[in-house]
Amino acid sequence: MLDEERQYFSEHGDELRRQHPGKFVIIHGQTVAGAFATQEEALGFGAREFGLSSFLVRNVEQRADIEVTVPALALGLLRADPSHPVRD
Amino acid sequence: MPILHTQYETEVQQPDGSVIAGDPQHALVAQGPCVQIIFGLAASLATQIIQQGHPVPNPVSGMGLIDTGASTTCIDNSTAQAMGLPVVDVVKMMSASHAATDANVYPIQLQLIGTPIRVEITRALGAELKGQGIIALIGRDFLANCTLFYNGVTGGLTLST
Repeated sequence: MLDEERQYFSEHGDELRRQHPGKFVIIHGQTVAGAFATQEEALGFGAREFGLSSFLVRNVEQRADIEVTVPALALGLLRADPSHPVRD
Repeated sequence: MPILHTQYETEVQQPDGSVIAGDPQHALVAQGPCVQIIFGLAASLATQIIQQGHPVPNPVSGMGLIDTGASTTCIDNSTAQAMGLPVVDVVKMMSASHAATDANVYPIQLQLIGTPIRVEITRALGAELKGQGIIALIGRDFLANCTLFYNGVTGGLTLST
């Protein structure tokens, strides 16, 4: 999902940081649709322009895809059921 | 101050086949801190789409598991896709057992059913949760707006804002 937009962001990161320091940009396809001071403003603009289509919203200072760890999912512990009683 | 108080219940079958109410303490241990929730498109986007005269996706309700170990709220990815929620970013979801996988990022609003407690989460992650009987893993980005009291002794949970 958003492969084209992420590729564009990756290839034009330096340029975006120079042009829109500290801003949140919206990328749709290979086009920068706007730059905003806050993520909320960017999302509102994106919805107005693109409706329910997907679009990329990122802070230009971000260098790569963010890595997220959700321990319950990362460790496969969701709904873990211990084989021994939790208490006596 | 809106408050949600949940007392967990379970049923135990006796040797004679009759069913009696189980211990709430064990019910909370077994079920985990689950609450009924409803989520839909974030209001900041929904407002814009409505102003354009277009319909917004219908919200979906189900069970959410509170996870104080999760910094970010996760929603069931297949549900989000079926609703037609827009993807606004992709992150790398790390795993202890296999390579990192891409996770979609959705702008949502999540509400606790039966209360006005409603939080805009602009970066909820898509994950496969439905198989676990839940549609959301409620993380600390939601809990940052609440007071949570987990009473393991009485088998109760209280959330307020």
